[in-house]
Amino acid sequence: MAKIKIYSTPTCPFCRMAKEFFKEKKIGFEDIDVSADRAVASELFERSGHMGVPQIEVNGKIIIGFDKAALEQELKDV
Amino acid sequence: MFDLVIVGAGIAGQTAAIYAARKRMDFVLLAKEVGGQFLESGEVLNYPGILKTTGVEFKLLMDKQLEFNEVNVTEGKEVKKIGKIEDGFRVYCDSDTYDAKTVIIASGARPRGLNVPGEKEFARKGVTYCSICDGPLFSGMDVVVVGGGNSALEAVDFIKDIAQKIYLLNNGKEFNAHEYLIERVLSYKNVEILLEADTKEVLGDKFVTGLVYEKNSILHSLEVQGVIIEIGRVPNTGFLEGFLELDEHNHVVVDCQTRASVEGVFAAGDCASGHEYQYVTSAGQGCMALLKAARYLANKKL
Repeated sequence: MAKIKIYSTPTCPFCRMAKEFFKEKKIGFEDIDVSADRAVASELFERSGHMGVPQIEVNGKIIIGFDKAALEQELKDV
Repeated sequence: MFDLVIVGAGIAGQTAAIYAARKRMDFVLLAKEVGGQFLESGEVLNYPGILKTTGVEFKLLMDKQLEFNEVNVTEGKEVKKIGKIEDGFRVYCDSDTYDAKTVIIASGARPRGLNVPGEKEFARKGVTYCSICDGPLFSGMDVVVVGGGNSALEAVDFIKDIAQKIYLLNNGKEFNAHEYLIERVLSYKNVEILLEADTKEVLGDKFVTGLVYEKNSILHSLEVQGVIIEIGRVPNTGFLEGFLELDEHNHVVVDCQTRASVEGVFAAGDCASGHEYQYVTSAGQGCMALLKAARYLANKKL
């Protein structure tokens, strides 16, 4: 089973869509609210080079935004 | 040949598709992505019959409504061109084409860019066009909001308790927004208003570090970590150039019956002239476009 982390904020619509995507597929994920913890946010942005949400980590690889095609591809490879 | 091709699956295109499905028309709904601008709006408080919702809730409900009406969206299709053929039109996507007797264009709009150096380079690195998406990331930071309309002032209102200092930078002399919003924004202690200020450049290294603007022919710079751009929207109509008439802002010119300048082509929602960027006007126009297209087919006996 893939290990998935969704870095999100409470108001971000695409984060919500991303969570729905995984729920529909019955794939569990860890939801990390980056607006609640600046240290986590900074670390993520430094690591990915992108300042925005959602960012979705699938098995250590970060996918920027809610990119359905990229997610499908990554899940297939797992 | 299909009866109809609908281009775009925002609220206008989806409404047209629901009506087309219920009329048992032979149609295809082409979309780059389903939902379009739904996902950029926060609260929705003015849709008749719905007391209070959000863009995402609305989108998810529309997904169910499409499913209920057995509407299939052909997703991931960006229309590149439309041309006239005998008895109808040919719609060109990247790798395939769709022929239909009528076309409804509901391709929507996208945020307008500033078109200054650094803007593209630092997109998603501190530059954003979606304050409800990225606003909360600017917690404790200094931010500039560029714009002077409702969206810009709503963005300031949204991040007033999140960001530390907010500059509201407008190139006009005054704001063009609801009075209650202007009053509210003027009352915030952490907001500094800069009028008649022209953005010249976004600065940064790995992420945004500042913004340069010109006022009274003098260049000034702000130290900010976030740049929120809310300067209006532009219609997604580039693929229609030369095919039908566009207005001075590139909206599809339509009459009061959603008819475009080419017979058999209709347009609805934010891509069409007379647009108001409202869910309800787009839904209404999507419905009208479909009914007019159906009537056109019946009259022409196509």
